[in-house]
Amino acid sequence: MKLAVDFERCTGHGRCYALAPHVFDADDHGHCVLLAAEVPPAHQREARSAVLNCPEDAIAITEE
Amino acid sequence: MADREPETREVNLFSGEHAAAPQPLYRELVTKCPFARAAFSGSPVLSRYEDVLWALRHPEIFSSEMEMHMALGTERPMIPQQIDPPAQTKYRKILDPRFSKKRMLEIAPDVRRHANELIDAFLERGECEFDREFAVPLPCTAFLSLMGLPQSELPRFLRIKDMIIRPQTLLAEPTLEASQALRKDAGRQIYTFFGDLIDERRRKPGSDMVSYLLETEIDGQRLTREEILDVSFLLILAGLDTVTATLGCNIAYLAANPAQRRRLIEKPELIPAAVEELLRWETPVAAVPRVVKQEVEVHGVKLEKGTLVTLLIGASNIDEGEFSEPERVDFERERNKHLAFGGGPHRCLGSHLARLELEVAMEVWHQRIPDYRIKPGETPRYSPGIREVQYLPLVWDRA
Repeated sequence: MKLAVDFERCTGHGRCYALAPHVFDADDHGHCVLLAAEVPPAHQREARSAVLNCPEDAIAITEE
Repeated sequence: MADREPETREVNLFSGEHAAAPQPLYRELVTKCPFARAAFSGSPVLSRYEDVLWALRHPEIFSSEMEMHMALGTERPMIPQQIDPPAQTKYRKILDPRFSKKRMLEIAPDVRRHANELIDAFLERGECEFDREFAVPLPCTAFLSLMGLPQSELPRFLRIKDMIIRPQTLLAEPTLEASQALRKDAGRQIYTFFGDLIDERRRKPGSDMVSYLLETEIDGQRLTREEILDVSFLLILAGLDTVTATLGCNIAYLAANPAQRRRLIEKPELIPAAVEELLRWETPVAAVPRVVKQEVEVHGVKLEKGTLVTLLIGASNIDEGEFSEPERVDFERERNKHLAFGGGPHRCLGSHLARLELEVAMEVWHQRIPDYRIKPGETPRYSPGIREVQYLPLVWDRA
């Protein structure tokens, strides 16, 4: 699984790194940081949850 | 404008009945009347999720730069809430790091200790008035520690906050003029208090917010005294009332829905998700204002520049266009893009602080008082506007 983040859209709600701490982290401003380009199977469930809960629609799954 | 306007209905968003149970009106607006008008002012009310989100994301059309006659006791716009990008973006760059989730975790022990102390005071009594004894004082602790102020300042800030947010409750004859006079008085007190604080911190800096604002720079420039005052003003207004209201809405809901409450006691790990779901369902900050900055058409109605628009976030949070089974409160909801903290560039600066306070408070409360109910014969009372449960009498069995 691969994810893409639209950093223009991210405003720092922080849902992604709360719901998917193995996939996302926060920078100093509380905006999201993608930890790795490829999401391993063990973390795909939480990655999906992050996508479904981002109020700015800033995260997309680019490859299943 | 009038000749092209389709039939709309007028809604009163400022009644206590509506504040106590807003969902029926929300449902009606979202499904039948996405463009309504507010009673008295006649200003447009948008309620659908996609409309509200669109407006929140387009400050160049729906501006936060309000006319000052609407002001809450301020002499200038509050920073960064009442200014738009690009100036707003620069302020957020220096403020966001001070309110990040990681930084807020540092105050979790303080919030936990204070929650426990508040409960110690009434646990054995077997009852409390939740608003006054828990929901009001708890967020003030966090605010005072962020500002580096002693807890003894609590009563002063509570009073000032009420003078601004709900002056009508402090007046024998609550006229608009008297309310605005009270707000102005409170505003002057805030400017004086924080003016003195700025002088003090300039002499003796600490690790608090004002010291930080004094030493930080935007484009190589220090902030002016007025800018620091305009940030501080916002922190008082936004930091105290909103979490109080949310705590009350959450506990009132759980007191009235024992099956849901039991799920949280059996599975405390559901608390963070429950906080999100109750933010969606209750949306204590139910509406936010915007002013039209460039002419725009919404649902076939042309809105002129200068039109005041109400974005009814509470309604958008139960729009079935976005949420599946929106009227079911589900702590395991898979997709929850609620807008309780707004969205777009003005996304609530304090959202991570609010979430921390709410999660810690819910956890501590349910550990210590798992079985509570509304006092028999009593009815909780909700304030219009920001939905604070101003009267919430609870009882529980003593150990």
